[in-house]
Amino acid sequence: MLQPSLLLNKHVTNIKFEMLANSKTSNKIDSKKVSPSSENSFGKTLKDFFEEVTLLTRFTMRFFRELIKPPYEFNEFLKQSYLIGYKSLPLIAITGFIMGLVLTIQSRPTLAQFGAESWLPAMVAVSIIREIGPVVTALIFAGKVGSGIGAELASMKVTEQIDAMEVSGINPFKYLVVTRILSATLMLPILVIMSDVISLYGAYIGVNLQGDVSFNLFIVKIFDKLVFTDIFPAVIKTFFFGFVVALLGCYKGYNSSKGTEGVAVAANTSVVYASLMIFILDMIAVQITSLFI
Amino acid sequence: MKKASGNKIRLGIFVSIGFALLIGCIYLIGERQQLFSNTFQVSGIFKNISGLQIGNNVRFSGINVGIVDNIEQLTDTTVKVDMMINDDTRKFMKKNAKAIIGSDGLMGNKIVIITPGTNGQKTLADNDVIATEQPVTMDDILIKLKVTGDNAATITSDLAVVMTNIREGKGTIGKLLMDTAMAKEVDQALTNIKQGAGGFKQNMNAASNNVLLRGYFKKKKKGDEKDKK
Repeated sequence: MLQPSLLLNKHVTNIKFEMLANSKTSNKIDSKKVSPSSENSFGKTLKDFFEEVTLLTRFTMRFFRELIKPPYEFNEFLKQSYLIGYKSLPLIAITGFIMGLVLTIQSRPTLAQFGAESWLPAMVAVSIIREIGPVVTALIFAGKVGSGIGAELASMKVTEQIDAMEVSGINPFKYLVVTRILSATLMLPILVIMSDVISLYGAYIGVNLQGDVSFNLFIVKIFDKLVFTDIFPAVIKTFFFGFVVALLGCYKGYNSSKGTEGVAVAANTSVVYASLMIFILDMIAVQITSLFI
Repeated sequence: MKKASGNKIRLGIFVSIGFALLIGCIYLIGERQQLFSNTFQVSGIFKNISGLQIGNNVRFSGINVGIVDNIEQLTDTTVKVDMMINDDTRKFMKKNAKAIIGSDGLMGNKIVIITPGTNGQKTLADNDVIATEQPVTMDDILIKLKVTGDNAATITSDLAVVMTNIREGKGTIGKLLMDTAMAKEVDQALTNIKQGAGGFKQNMNAASNNVLLRGYFKKKKKGDEKDKK
């Protein structure tokens, strides 16, 4: 039992230490403010970027290692597939329908100028299936699922739930990361196929707003112009889109820090980087596809 | 537990519908490319295929009955086009059928049009080579248009020379239209002819009253009256 005077002394000493520490920190910040060097700043950014690339690569390699190594978290995988795939369907369906409808209505005047309105179903179908469907669906998926994964894992990280899992003998990487990435990779292609079909239904309604095309004729016109090289590259690239969205969400969430602020940062950066990566991957996919067509 | 089971069922339905839609799309595209129907192959040898590509449609009586399966350059002037055609239409295609390369509308893809051939001939067999007709290419049309244009230019150039000559009063028509002196002379000549015709009429009246010729004119008058009756 300590004397009250001793307790008071200790408290005062603690306050002094804190003030000293604060003044040192503020000095550090001030010194940074006083002598900012753009060259050093650029060098630091570049160094941070390459560090991030290395950490992300290690994270990806760990994912593949954990993916093939038993035991498999099959129930968690099914749960995540339900949450990531099935639960995203309403959002994807609404946006897909509007996308098909709007694209058709917007394309009609241009085609009408050339007297080529009969090409409308085929043109809209090729646009949706090749490009617009996969990319727009992936972007919405990144917004919903990527940010969700990032925020969820980050909050688990800052509340030390991930550490608790490790302590209790569960491999958190396998349980949280592998299942989510695998689910997103497999669910996005299915969502894109459904979104494409719903978009085409929207396009059918769009065509019939100002014209009169039977459903059979619409289907015949669509599949008259579609070939396998329209379908397969578009479906294959969505596996990569799904993988990247979940990978970045998990990476940002799993390596989050700085408390609640870190959760917001993880959710935000997951979406931003995932969206950017979707466009980069799409560009690469188009280049590769054009080599074989 | 019950909820988890329900979620798994929903997930299963979701995945099954996704797969079913993908397989449906693949089937519809494959059907168009004759992947799931019985087909036979015929070939045609062309000098110029005008941009025909593998996968373009083959039409018979206006119906899409097959696709172009392969295109192979045989020599520097001949190209072999293999076509996969639906077996159901084989009975209508005779040995003397002809393949023509056409176009699907003004801006459309190239297509191969097969004419049926004449009755009494045998039907086509697998791997037959059918006769072809050289397509009318855009280049041919442009060459003919150029010749027509050149001719029109020559004609209008000649016409311009003629019109210039007429305007300058050269030649008969030019003088007739543009020379005022000649117009006066023509006018004078017409006046003279008019006067001459008046004099000639008086002479004929005098002759009809002459003793020597009066009988002739009377006979002629009676003959004319008889003819009228």
